[in-house]
Amino acid sequence: MDKLIAIVRREYLERVRTRWFLIATLFGPVLFGALMFLPSIIASKQTPTDDVRRVVILDATGTDLGRRVARGLNGGVFGDSSLTRVESVTAAELAAAESLATRAVQDERAKGYLVLDASTIAGLSARYAGSNTTAMMDMGRLERTVRRQVLGLRLEREGLAQERAEAVTDVTLDMKTERLTKRGRGGSAAVSLFFALGVAMLLYMSIMLYGINVMRGVIEEKSTRVAEIVVASVSPSRLLAGKVLGVGGVGLTQVALWVAGALTLNRVRGPLLSAMGITSTPFELPALSWGTGALLIAFFVLGFTFYAAAFAAVGAMVDNEQEAQQAQMPVVLLLIASIVFVQNILLAPDGTLARVMGLLPFSAPIVMPLRLASAPVPTAQVVMALASVGLGAAVMTWLAARIYRVGILMYGKRPSLGELVRWVRQ
Amino acid sequence: MSLALSIDHIAKRYDQHVAVRDLSLAVPRGALYGLLGPNGAGKTSTIRMILNIIRPDQGTIRVLDTPFDTPGLVNRIGYLPEERGLYKKMQVRRVLRFLAELKGIGAKEADRRIDGWLERFALRGGGRDWGTAKVDELSRGMQQKVQFIGALLHEPELVILDEPFSGLDPINAQAMKDTMVDLRTKGRTVIFSTHIMDNAERLCDAVCIIARGEKVLDGTVSAVRAEHGSRTVALAFDGGRTTAVDAVLSDRRLIAAMDDQNRFLEVELAGGADPQQLLVALVQAGASLERFERVRPSLHRIFLEKVGATGVEAGMSGQG
Repeated sequence: MDKLIAIVRREYLERVRTRWFLIATLFGPVLFGALMFLPSIIASKQTPTDDVRRVVILDATGTDLGRRVARGLNGGVFGDSSLTRVESVTAAELAAAESLATRAVQDERAKGYLVLDASTIAGLSARYAGSNTTAMMDMGRLERTVRRQVLGLRLEREGLAQERAEAVTDVTLDMKTERLTKRGRGGSAAVSLFFALGVAMLLYMSIMLYGINVMRGVIEEKSTRVAEIVVASVSPSRLLAGKVLGVGGVGLTQVALWVAGALTLNRVRGPLLSAMGITSTPFELPALSWGTGALLIAFFVLGFTFYAAAFAAVGAMVDNEQEAQQAQMPVVLLLIASIVFVQNILLAPDGTLARVMGLLPFSAPIVMPLRLASAPVPTAQVVMALASVGLGAAVMTWLAARIYRVGILMYGKRPSLGELVRWVRQ
Repeated sequence: MSLALSIDHIAKRYDQHVAVRDLSLAVPRGALYGLLGPNGAGKTSTIRMILNIIRPDQGTIRVLDTPFDTPGLVNRIGYLPEERGLYKKMQVRRVLRFLAELKGIGAKEADRRIDGWLERFALRGGGRDWGTAKVDELSRGMQQKVQFIGALLHEPELVILDEPFSGLDPINAQAMKDTMVDLRTKGRTVIFSTHIMDNAERLCDAVCIIARGEKVLDGTVSAVRAEHGSRTVALAFDGGRTTAVDAVLSDRRLIAAMDDQNRFLEVELAGGADPQQLLVALVQAGASLERFERVRPSLHRIFLEKVGATGVEAGMSGQG
């Protein structure tokens, strides 16, 4: 028992001490922080900029539409229109004026040029060319301004006074959107979808990351030949157990730190954003019961054991990391197979695919938590999934221990399937 | 007599080949014992079976008067494998503490012993403590020392060293030799495998030569040499050898085998021939002798005679 503890402690401490662990631990919260803060910050930055005023208006309508648009862009009659240049041209001169304006944009004297012509007056089209066409807010504002001024011009032609026309066309409309789904209001549904996906991705990533970490550890012991010294003191299966437990502990520590970091960030998010002068809708995490939390941890532990054992067996079969790249494919594919259907499963959390994949030992560790986080799951199915993953982990560990026992002292050619079977039966 | 190790008719077969065919041997406690054999003779397989790393297909092994698979027995054995390596990114002191813990030594006690050993092997002191360095910052020789320390930290009663001299420079080889002798002086048993006969001859109390997975001979070094001793003559000539002399030397009735050692010839007399006959024949052939001496054959000579080229080749299976 003391020896097992010595192995677990070595595996755990040597990993936690690395710079790699520190970076990954910090990277998690940074990523969560970016996900939480950036959308609000970006949204707050996406107000129309000065760029929209730095345009050339080529007015070929023969009216004062160009000047009206310039006024509209610069805040009405009292605004400063100096940034916007209006050129009245005839239809014949338009082509020449456009090439001059193009040159102006290319020389960065203007952001772009707006062409207003007869079809604009007719309410059909206007053209804009510039270096800032991807700025959605600016383009929206430009379009709204032209539309409003055309409307004002038409109203005046119908006999309305200019001030009246301006008042009538002054419509600022802010439309709030909310998504409705079968299960209720879209807002919270989006968050729970996001949350479920997050849980699945977190499980997938940490199982993959730490499973491969176990494999690396086995290869290191094999290639440096430390394995032989260690198995002269403890049995190979105990070494394997110590490795899986130690690395699993590192994984749990890391995930716990990530979750703690994310929760802290979420708590300070509102105050921080308002301190930066950004208003935002609160980001409510779905309430997670202790029971569900315990289940998520159980699935992580069992799923990790299943994959870590498989990865350890792969590590014992090969001599170096290059060989491991190929040999690990079957295991990696199993893991990927459980994540590729995430979208389909989220769309139908109670569908056949979700139910089957939630029970198979290799996919349940990821699919079942995904289902648990997105919709209520019948208790019987959860119990069956736990049993299935538990049994799968036990069988995989047994198989891996048999392969590991022979493999860590074998060098040279990678074993064929037949040889593997012999190793297991030996 | 209490035995450190007794092996009784063990065998180990792999898919493609036989590593150990049928091997029995006994090592008394307190002996410095050499396990000699060509590459692939079954030395490493035998050692792995003693350490319960692999199981023999048949036969029994008793270590320190207990069955080899008794729990806790490994804590009384120290082992240095032929292929050496340690966790590269780990601090030397932590590696050693870990190895000690695997043998059931507590961390505090281990630390005390580690200090002593590091000083003894000049890895600590003079303002420099290699114990706090990472393993891969150490030179190869230093890493070998660290691994040797790791095999001895738990003060094992039986120390098994697989090819301990391979890859060591003369200075480290001397340190290794000194420590082995020192262990023996303290009453520990040291078993080491080697294919370098000179080392075995100088160090061992007793040896066992194995080839093709079988024992060829065993016994104390002096007994083995005495047994093969009466029939070997060392010859050196003053000046070159004439054709007449060469004719005598190639006479199969007189000489069974000849080994040119450059400065002298080691010849083994043919059955029925005696040294006097050879001396007379050489003198009659006009040889000018600088040396004519009846010698005990070196272990090397005995080894070649007993194992022969075939033994080396047939044993070449890569399993050591």
